[in-house]
Amino acid sequence: MLLPLTVAILVACAVLLLLAGHRLWRDRLIDDPIIVVSAVIELALLVQLVIGLAQSGAIQDGAERATYIAYLFTVLVVLPVTVFIAIKERSRWAMGVVLGGAVVVAILVARILQIWQLNV
Amino acid sequence: MSERNTPRPDAPTPDDRPSAADEHTGHGAGRLLVAVYGLLALAATGRSVLQIVEYFDRAPVSYLLSALAAVIYIIATVGLARGNRTSVRVAAVAVTIELIGVLVVGALSYAMSDAFPDKTVWSHFGQGYGYVPLVLPFLGLWWIWRHRALVTGSSMSGPPEPRR
Repeated sequence: MLLPLTVAILVACAVLLLLAGHRLWRDRLIDDPIIVVSAVIELALLVQLVIGLAQSGAIQDGAERATYIAYLFTVLVVLPVTVFIAIKERSRWAMGVVLGGAVVVAILVARILQIWQLNV
Repeated sequence: MSERNTPRPDAPTPDDRPSAADEHTGHGAGRLLVAVYGLLALAATGRSVLQIVEYFDRAPVSYLLSALAAVIYIIATVGLARGNRTSVRVAAVAVTIELIGVLVVGALSYAMSDAFPDKTVWSHFGQGYGYVPLVLPFLGLWWIWRHRALVTGSSMSGPPEPRR
């Protein structure tokens, strides 16, 4: 795995978390910065998918490798769905969903790194 | 909870009840609930597909339970998100089964750990998922109950008071 990329994604998730937390605090709806940061994270996750798939042969255990690949794909789903929900919702819960999404992506990315480090 | 409800410009009709958005199980805080249910549906589905395809023989009971949990989470997610009378009722049943499942499997996985050699979403009361599977059915049932109270409350004659 590319550790700098993982760290960058985690930092970006923290930024998204802070942005969403701020909007939630101010009782505001979704705006461009939230969408832009989400899009940047999504792009980075796509890069992570490509790199991860290319390197996945290094994991010997078949089940662990399958889990690893499954996580690489699963993490891509989270932000598009949360942003979609946040656009539809017209209350402060919209930002609650984005906040939750940022946490989930961070957890999944950390889990991907963990699977990699335990098996290579 | 100071939820701000901007009435959607496209939605309201004059005879709509003022709190129509609140009565939908998939709006407001329900969005978060649906999102978390969706996430667990995804996690449980992914896990069970992987377990059944890759190493079913290791612990068939655990893996079938994972698959059952996945189906229940999917039903609950869709039911809450659709939010009409029937689908909420279906969601209520699913969430009740989920509550029983997490309590029974959680207790059994501690009491007779031999029977559960590999983890499911529900074993150890959902420990592997930060105990979210344990908390979620309570939140889900409360949300559905509150939704019902709102619907029946406002369909009776009298001043339509928003309950919050």
